[in-house]
Amino acid sequence: MTAQTVSGHAPTDHTPHDADDPRWKQAGRAAWGRLSDRRYLPTFGTLATLAILLVVGQLRYSTDDRSFISARLFSNLFIDNSYLLVLAIGMTFVIISGGIDLSVGGVVALVGLVVAKLLLAGLPLPVVLVVGVLVGTAIGSLIGVMVQYFRIQPFIASLAGLFLARGLANMLGTTSIGIKDEGFASLASWKLKFGERPDIWYINLSMIVAFVVLLIAVYLLHYTRSGRTVYGLGAGDGGQAAALMGLRPGATKMWVYVISGTCAGIGGILFALYTKSGYNLSGVGMELDAIASVVIGGALLTGGVGYVLGTFAGVTLYGLILIVCTREGLDPWWNRILIGAILLGFVLLQRVLVAKRR
Amino acid sequence: MTGTVQTPSFVSRVVHHHLFWPVVALVALWIACGVVSPGFLDVKVVDGHLFGQLVDITRNSVTFLLLALGMCLVIATGGIDLSVGAVMAISLAVALTYIDNSGNGESATVALTAVAIALGVAAVVGAFNGFLIAGLGIQPFIATMIILVAGRGIALAFTGGQITTTHSAPFKSIGSGFVLGIPTPVVIGAVVFAIVALLVRKTALGMLLESVGINRTASHMAGVRSRNITWLVYILCGTLAGLAGLVYGAPTMAADANNIGQLMELNAIMAVVIGGTKLDGGKFSLAGTIVGALILTTLDRAVIIFHLPSESKDLFKAIVVIAICIAGSERLRDSIGLRRRPRLDSSTPAPKKTAEVAA
Repeated sequence: MTAQTVSGHAPTDHTPHDADDPRWKQAGRAAWGRLSDRRYLPTFGTLATLAILLVVGQLRYSTDDRSFISARLFSNLFIDNSYLLVLAIGMTFVIISGGIDLSVGGVVALVGLVVAKLLLAGLPLPVVLVVGVLVGTAIGSLIGVMVQYFRIQPFIASLAGLFLARGLANMLGTTSIGIKDEGFASLASWKLKFGERPDIWYINLSMIVAFVVLLIAVYLLHYTRSGRTVYGLGAGDGGQAAALMGLRPGATKMWVYVISGTCAGIGGILFALYTKSGYNLSGVGMELDAIASVVIGGALLTGGVGYVLGTFAGVTLYGLILIVCTREGLDPWWNRILIGAILLGFVLLQRVLVAKRR
Repeated sequence: MTGTVQTPSFVSRVVHHHLFWPVVALVALWIACGVVSPGFLDVKVVDGHLFGQLVDITRNSVTFLLLALGMCLVIATGGIDLSVGAVMAISLAVALTYIDNSGNGESATVALTAVAIALGVAAVVGAFNGFLIAGLGIQPFIATMIILVAGRGIALAFTGGQITTTHSAPFKSIGSGFVLGIPTPVVIGAVVFAIVALLVRKTALGMLLESVGINRTASHMAGVRSRNITWLVYILCGTLAGLAGLVYGAPTMAADANNIGQLMELNAIMAVVIGGTKLDGGKFSLAGTIVGALILTTLDRAVIIFHLPSESKDLFKAIVVIAICIAGSERLRDSIGLRRRPRLDSSTPAPKKTAEVAA
């Protein structure tokens, strides 16, 4: 259904950027078709904002011999944000179910340190990577049990998860530990090269992992019974409607946190690959970046509304905002104000679009 | 004490009171600290000033308390305010920048003006949150996240990206002085608590807050000015966060916009929830909020007393929060009440699930 949306931005497309044009038109036609469908309006707002930023960027930063909108731009964007994409995908499940997961930033730091420490201890790389992901799964399961069996509000349960993960990370070490393992380094530096010298761009391992997670998530959330249960949970009646439909909401409420924790574990490994180190202070505020991306992508924090591909668009927009800030060469504090202002502008835009629905 | 404290006549009523587990946790922590460090529970009077570990803990808890009081009211209306940490940074940056530029920090008038301006700015930020939430109907989580993201940037813009340090004895006394032998922050905390408690428990405001938190639409139809009330709590919460920033930063007189108030929003929410207020809105406990703030501060201190590495602070907090939440959860209470077999059952509560879904 929304498959056109993703190919419209074509970050994984193997053709050079001059093939973008007809695809944009395709996506445009599909988007116009969607306009009549009210469910897509918030996500459409995201795409419109994305388009505006791209056009502004194209006008301001293009030079005679290099276009701003290019495969290179998207390649850089996803090399820098693949970990955020994975975190945000996990968060999408939680938010659509009507919950929230504040622990993911802490999990990223914990997983990074676990990976760094275990590699220093000489464990084989595949084992370390699996253990890293399972650390995330474990924290997610703990939060899930608190939410499902003890009826603790997700905000508090995941807040406890955040302090737990960060506390454990602090115990493992308070200095940045560089990862010098050869296998890990070769995973981090592995990439496919495309294009010629000025317009050279890459696909690296993190991007591939992120897009595989994206595809699995689209399948799980939009094409399976469990996915429908997640939406049913977010309807706001504690899953009663879903139960009446013959779905089983009970365990699903727990599973969304396990999924989010696992995604955070994968995200932690991607972040470790990106920084080639483990550090207990990494990922501070990353949960908010992830939540912001999901919400910018059109999901409602009250639950029940949202799309995995909307989140994809949200992360793209978030990354693009950062790129534009950097290109403007502003003082670091202006970056934050600008991100806040754009978030505000975006929330207002979305508000207008949602208001029109009624 | 406010109206939330009932007269307990039975053991079960005590155990089921929402303050039971938090108070047990606090007393247990204090006793544990007293055992490890014998002088912990002593309170001495030196030069007419109160001194002792407990006094220190109370003084340090005021920052949490001020934040948590505002947060408690916001949560009562069914909202949340993620901006309080950033507001602390803004407020302190504004006050210290004003004192620094005035050139005469030792004057009491300058210090008072700085406080007034800082609180004014904090109130404006609160009003901005109120505008987004009550005026435009944006979800509180997202609306206040905007200041959470941008706020530290604004504070840095005030200080020009530097850590502003300045001197002002009158301003410094807000954080480290004494009034009648009692630390000034404790006096500020007590006065603010008294005002808020009177406001919400002796007028209809508390009930109106709860009615908005339970059902905004219904209370609006019943004639409650739910929008005005929402505006009011966010302005109040912002102002209290501003005051918390001043109390917190005054002893050092350094506005480090990047770090002051970091994660404070989450700590404040934690204090409120530990105190027995549910995040769903509609019901709140001010007395519980004090207990919550004291528990968090005691935990910070306990780490030092137990000779644990200071890095274990967060882990410690997590364990206590999880323990308090699970101890206070309906599920565990049910199993205690119905089966009279404490605790052990909590680990295997799964079988009861099916009946609930069928219902």
